[in-house]
Amino acid sequence: MPIRPEHAHQNRLWCVFCNFDILELDSPFACGNAIEHLASVEHWKRVKGFMWKYGGGMDRVHLFRIAEVDFAKWEKKCKALKTEGAKAESVGPVVGPWKNIHNELNADSVNSFHKNDVDSLKFCIPNGVVPLHNYTNEKTQVSCSVSSSVSEAEDSQYLKNSTGYMDNQHCSNSLAVNGSVYSGVRIANGENISPEDIIGNVHTGAPPPWFDATKGNQLDVALKSEQSDLVSSKAGKSSKLNPKRVGAAWAERRKLELELEKRGELVNNNYDANWLPNFGRVWQSGTRKESRKEFRMEDEASPKADNQSEVPMPLQPYISKRMVKSALYMLLFILKSPDEDVN
Amino acid sequence: MEYLLPTLREKREVDSLIRDTIDKVLVLRFGRSSDAVCLQLDDILYKSARDVSRFATVALVDVDSEEIQVYVKYFDITFMPSTVFFFNAHHMKMDSGSADHTKWVGTFQRKQDFIDVVEAIYRGAMKGKLIVSCPLPPERIPKFQLLYKDV
Repeated sequence: MPIRPEHAHQNRLWCVFCNFDILELDSPFACGNAIEHLASVEHWKRVKGFMWKYGGGMDRVHLFRIAEVDFAKWEKKCKALKTEGAKAESVGPVVGPWKNIHNELNADSVNSFHKNDVDSLKFCIPNGVVPLHNYTNEKTQVSCSVSSSVSEAEDSQYLKNSTGYMDNQHCSNSLAVNGSVYSGVRIANGENISPEDIIGNVHTGAPPPWFDATKGNQLDVALKSEQSDLVSSKAGKSSKLNPKRVGAAWAERRKLELELEKRGELVNNNYDANWLPNFGRVWQSGTRKESRKEFRMEDEASPKADNQSEVPMPLQPYISKRMVKSALYMLLFILKSPDEDVN
Repeated sequence: MEYLLPTLREKREVDSLIRDTIDKVLVLRFGRSSDAVCLQLDDILYKSARDVSRFATVALVDVDSEEIQVYVKYFDITFMPSTVFFFNAHHMKMDSGSADHTKWVGTFQRKQDFIDVVEAIYRGAMKGKLIVSCPLPPERIPKFQLLYKDV
């Protein structure tokens, strides 16, 4: 099945040397058109002319083309695949195009070998990042070599959990050096076995190679110490706070007291009714402790004054000194006048 | 608004709140819930309480309670509402251009004003300052006349 139009933009190659945009819309194999172009004689001529003109280094000219030998090998393999696909029976469920994870074709993708093969080959990544095609515990190795020959189409491999069907062959486009764009062909070759994969990997839950078994205990100890640090995070937090902040010493003491009270070691029932906070009064002169003392003194003095003022004062009319004087004179006059009468 | 913010009517409650609020600003509003200006301030306090909850605790103190009178005298509270700020049981003063730096008299015009004031106090306290300057412009600070010893 040829590539879908919506994926076409991800599978095109712009050849700088030929000033030509290579599309993969009708190619039966991944990067088929690109490989054919790069192997063509015209492209080879233009590459040589470009490098000679712009001075790219004639010793590296062969990097930007696919040799005829490699191209022939690739063509041979493609033909072999086609014939095998026609003969082989249907295999299990098939994974659709890699790009489209929501591909509904996954559901009805039980096809012949030919179609399976074609689907899995529709895979070109522009930025050179390739998802896993095989289980890493299988003995395969992906190697990227730009100048190497085009890969053969390998036999398909069945997955162990039947989630998909993977092929070893895929190709990718990578950005070029010195501003020129060239295609790099990635090779997945079942013949290349990496012995490191035998031990285990992330998927099988094996420990990473830098994590030695002997160091495991150290890691546990480190984790436990971290946890204990978290438990005592309060102490850690207070050490981060500015020690010069207002009331820092008081705060530390109070925190300790509260902790002890929580644990039940210190029962603090001695509530002081006379306790007063540190307060700077409005008409304060001196330190705040002095203002607190002053207030306490005033507080003790004020109840006595209150008691005295509580006695009710009887209301009396106002009598001035003149009135008193005149009243006295009148009294004297009255007292004197009967004496004169007598005389 | 009494049911939304803790209202304190006993000296013991006030003392325990002052002593137990550690490394956070304690905002004590002295007033009565029947007063209109107090109500406005309480509304702003209630709305902002959550926003400042990481660095401040807000509580209302009923000025008509008998046990609170000692604090009314100690803090020289004559105008209602008056808001006093504490940090680690230390009184924080704010210079807002008025004669009384020991408390905030009156209400705030908007929620953000209150948050700014509390933030300024918190920042000053964390730096070790007992008095901070008010971040609000003068037109948003309530004005009042301070009498000397009730004269």
